[in-house]
Amino acid sequence: MLTLEAVTVRFGGLVALREVSFGLQAGEILGLVGPNGAGKTTLFNVISGLTRARGTIRFEGRDITALPLHARARAGIGRTFQIPQPMKHLSVRENLTVAQVFGAGRHDPARIEEILDVMELRAQGDRDAEGGLALQELKRLEIAKALATEPRLLLLDEVLAGLESQAKRQFMGKLKELHARFRLTIVIVEHDIETISGLCSRAVVLNFGQVIADATPAEVFRNPLVVESYTGTADA
Amino acid sequence: MTDLILQALFSGVLIGGVYALVALGLALSFGAMRIINLAHGELVLLAAYCAYLVETRTGLDPYAAIPLALLVVAGVSAVLFLMIDRIRQDRELNSLILTYAVGIILTNAILLAFASDVRSTASPTLQDAVTLGSVYAMTGEIIAFGLSLVLMVALWWWLKRSWYGRAVRAVSSNRAAATLMGISPGRTELVAFLVAGALASFAGVALYTMSVIQPALGHALTVKAFVITVLAGVGSIPGVFLGALLLGVTEALTVTLASSALQDLAGMVLFLVVLFLLPNGLFGARARRG
Amino acid sequence: MAPAHRDPRIPAPASGKPWRNAALVGACLVLAALPVLLGASNYLLGLLISALILSGIALAWALLGNLGGMVSFGHAAFFGVGAYASALISARLGVPVLLAIPLAGLCAALSALAMLPTLRLSGPYFALAILAYAQIFRILATEATGLTGGGAGLQRFPGLPTILGLDLGSRTGSYGLLVAMVALSALAYEAIRRSHVGTALRAIAHSEDATRVVGVNSVLLKAWMLLLSAFMTGVFGALNAHIIGFLEPAYAFSGLWSVMPIIAAIFGGYRTVLGPIGGAIVIYLFDQLVAKDLIAVGHQILLGLVLVVMVLIAPNGLLGLLKRRAGGRPHADA
Repeated sequence: MLTLEAVTVRFGGLVALREVSFGLQAGEILGLVGPNGAGKTTLFNVISGLTRARGTIRFEGRDITALPLHARARAGIGRTFQIPQPMKHLSVRENLTVAQVFGAGRHDPARIEEILDVMELRAQGDRDAEGGLALQELKRLEIAKALATEPRLLLLDEVLAGLESQAKRQFMGKLKELHARFRLTIVIVEHDIETISGLCSRAVVLNFGQVIADATPAEVFRNPLVVESYTGTADA
Repeated sequence: MTDLILQALFSGVLIGGVYALVALGLALSFGAMRIINLAHGELVLLAAYCAYLVETRTGLDPYAAIPLALLVVAGVSAVLFLMIDRIRQDRELNSLILTYAVGIILTNAILLAFASDVRSTASPTLQDAVTLGSVYAMTGEIIAFGLSLVLMVALWWWLKRSWYGRAVRAVSSNRAAATLMGISPGRTELVAFLVAGALASFAGVALYTMSVIQPALGHALTVKAFVITVLAGVGSIPGVFLGALLLGVTEALTVTLASSALQDLAGMVLFLVVLFLLPNGLFGARARRG
Repeated sequence: MAPAHRDPRIPAPASGKPWRNAALVGACLVLAALPVLLGASNYLLGLLISALILSGIALAWALLGNLGGMVSFGHAAFFGVGAYASALISARLGVPVLLAIPLAGLCAALSALAMLPTLRLSGPYFALAILAYAQIFRILATEATGLTGGGAGLQRFPGLPTILGLDLGSRTGSYGLLVAMVALSALAYEAIRRSHVGTALRAIAHSEDATRVVGVNSVLLKAWMLLLSAFMTGVFGALNAHIIGFLEPAYAFSGLWSVMPIIAAIFGGYRTVLGPIGGAIVIYLFDQLVAKDLIAVGHQILLGLVLVVMVLIAPNGLLGLLKRRAGGRPHADA
């Protein structure tokens, strides 16, 4: 459903992504792995339209390379930010309403309540999204906002960071539930091998802006090239 | 016809020098505080009226008014700075409105003090014609242009070499980091504001020696300064200088080839063309998109 | 985590107290009817008519500032275009005045289309770009003598008609029409503010990228606010033209039509709907009845002072100040 062809991003002299190409099947959960600064978030920015890139991006057969940020959301691509970016001074419910009305093009309050329930945010529904939420609640709001736009592709940027191992396992279950319930295709950036192995059918490894491996998680983490690039961060 | 055009080019360059001084002051306070001082043109005009006052009251050369102009404009600038510094909420928007209001006050204060008549220097020396080949200029214009060049080089040197100049650049590029390095943003901003005021003082006195002044001019000067910063793209002193010359020449050519009523339109059209076609200004740079 | 203080700039949702809103609307209507009921002189009605024209522009300005997050220093452009468009459409094309007025609003909105590239600019640059536009418009109007009559002015165009026995051209009729138009504008403003578009615009003002990434076309929404604000201003420019019966570029495109709405809206509280309306009436009457008496030429110096004081002491305007007092919010952050 998503195809990247030779995507390249330069920031001044720095090459953040170099000729990145890979495809994504509908319904897949793809793990995006790589050391810090490898270009994972940049790749999300490119797919969601926040950063312009050379190369071609196709989504559901359509060339979306030239589509601006807001149009990518409408086309069916939802994303979260590693550092949560709620719409400030709006309540949690208003955040979801704006996302739904403009991202999905329809207003369905029942579905917003459903998303609030799934993301365990109902009690916080009327709180101010900036000042009234704890960090983990903000992270759940990130996902809830993206879900409200009714995406078919969801990009998750380190949504499990900062969770205890028990809570992490629970949250992985939650992500699987979302995947099935909303018929999503998911790309998830994650450092933890266990999470990737437990969640994803496939992993793509980025290093210095290049794809160095693309296979099942088990194969990827046996790949000496990956282990070398990843030593020190993999167990962190 | 060629002579007329040459003359227009020459006069345009000369007035462009003063425009550059006006624009540099605006750009400096914007660079340091991220605030466009909409009263900047009025500060320039205030200095021009200081020159008028000194000339008519004492009979001295208008340039003798520079100490007075510096004092008056620095005083007003300091008050303006203190007011801007008090703004806590929506700083960008409220400072814009505040400086705009100060502009209204200054324009009307000048109107009350000096009436709406058009004034210009009576000095015969400054109005002497100097002929350079087929073009001529008033002595006042030549002196003003020379003064502008000297001040621009001085400003460039100050920003590059002096501690305060470097502090101003540090604060304007990263306020938080500058604070960590022990630079007080408040004090640096005040210094930048006062230097902008000093530039305005020289620009105002120079303007009076080579052109005509009236109370409504301040607003127009602010707009010109803004147009020049857009032409230049935010940032460099040479960019502002070239942008100012371009504006001066465009205005002068319009007056020569079309009519003086269209003088301001020419600058505006130039501004729009750059805005539409070259969103980063004529001379590169960045930082004005939202 | 700190308790969620509501940002004082964001009006609290008023939906909880419909009776209060109804009472407020009622009070406003009674207040508006009072001058006519008390048999105010034509002079006073004339002043109030001008004040209401200003109310309309101030409301349009505040709509752009509050919802669109853009400060304009050039609303005179829309006012002038609306005034000339209505005069010319009714005089040259023979279109009925009451139809020419909304058409003039459309013309003002069309002229705002030329300003759309400025939406890419950030705050202060946008403000100044609009100011430049206003200057261009004034010069063009002065030079296009064939159309506008140039500096000589334009006075052969129809006044307001008589509808259902009510002479809108009379002082009382014009006053009534303007009260209705200002009320209509306020309702439109309030309806937008409460709509999803209003919520999205509020989000854009504080977190633009976060809002765009969920599918909001922020430039488009801002563009709509600019066009709507231009339309409203153009309509009031047109109304004013037909009431005054005379136009010249120096008047129709006067910088005052840019300055006065700002002062009025800031004075009353530009983040509210009633603030700009009330602010315009107070400021205009103060300027005409008090300031002009004190200082004949240069009386706007007092308005400048008012503006400075408001920005420094009460940036949320008088209404914001009153609300804070009444709400007893202890965390005043100004």
